[in-house]
Amino acid sequence: MADLDFERRLERLFAQHPEMPDSAAFAERIERRLDRGWNLRRWLIGAAGVAGGVVGASQLVMSNLFQRVESAEQSARVLSQGLARVTPTTDMVSALSGGYGVWIAVGLAVLTMGVFAARLVEEF
Amino acid sequence: MPGTSSSFASLHDVELCARAAAGERRAFGELVRRHGSAIRHLLRRMGAQAAEADDVAQDALLAAFERIAEFRGEGTFAGWVKRIAARQYLRRLQREKRLTAIAAEEGRDEADSAGGDAEHHMDLEEALKALSQAERLCVSMCYGAGLSHGEAAEALNLPLGTVKSHVKRGLDKLRARLAPSGDDRADAGSGVVLEGRRSNG
Repeated sequence: MADLDFERRLERLFAQHPEMPDSAAFAERIERRLDRGWNLRRWLIGAAGVAGGVVGASQLVMSNLFQRVESAEQSARVLSQGLARVTPTTDMVSALSGGYGVWIAVGLAVLTMGVFAARLVEEF
Repeated sequence: MPGTSSSFASLHDVELCARAAAGERRAFGELVRRHGSAIRHLLRRMGAQAAEADDVAQDALLAAFERIAEFRGEGTFAGWVKRIAARQYLRRLQREKRLTAIAAEEGRDEADSAGGDAEHHMDLEEALKALSQAERLCVSMCYGAGLSHGEAAEALNLPLGTVKSHVKRGLDKLRARLAPSGDDRADAGSGVVLEGRRSNG
């Protein structure tokens, strides 16, 4: 019984401790390290997402996308001519059907990949 | 997020753990503010120097944040992190080849360590200095970090019997050094449940 009493007392003694004078600074150091690790991870994964997006987009561009775009452009032109007969305002369709439209789409895809990757990091 | 630190102060550890698991680093900061000192003290009581104790405590807390989803709320958060910290300290000793020397050392002679101080009420830090490093590690791990004898033996890579004898010798020395406390008698019949799990070792 005396042994058990002493063990209890010892546990209490171990549980007692004065507050360290620099406990607030210690906690801030930990928070800073957590923040630094978190930011680094976000940047790394965001950069990986952007790099992946660039690679993906370049693969699309390097394939025979331009030919397909040209044929699509012709189709769009035909379509817009047809539409012009029906409605007078088809400026938007014809503007996006050119090469600029492809590059805008590529840029948006890269951005989306980056944002999506960064978002994934936040979620998990 | 301005103003959140003060709102965290009113939350229970379990809620803070849940928030930290959801990625709220400020919630974890509040847990560190509450329990950081306990972890640093434990490591010092295990024999670490102040700067080393702070390093290990920092690493243990960062590891705890990474693994916070594993904390199921069985036992206290402080107890959980103390076990992580104790194991990390042992790993550091192993890495630096200090653990082998500690494990091999024999207990100091009883006569030179328990020199009739029982009349005075010594604090735990002073009393622990009378123990050999191995005894100090074993006693701190079992009574400070709440590890069972078996868990301590596994972490120290020592036979269970060796750990038990280190603990027994350590307890004998501490009993001789620490003056009897009135609390012992008060607690004798109170049915306080021991947090440690030494009996299952």
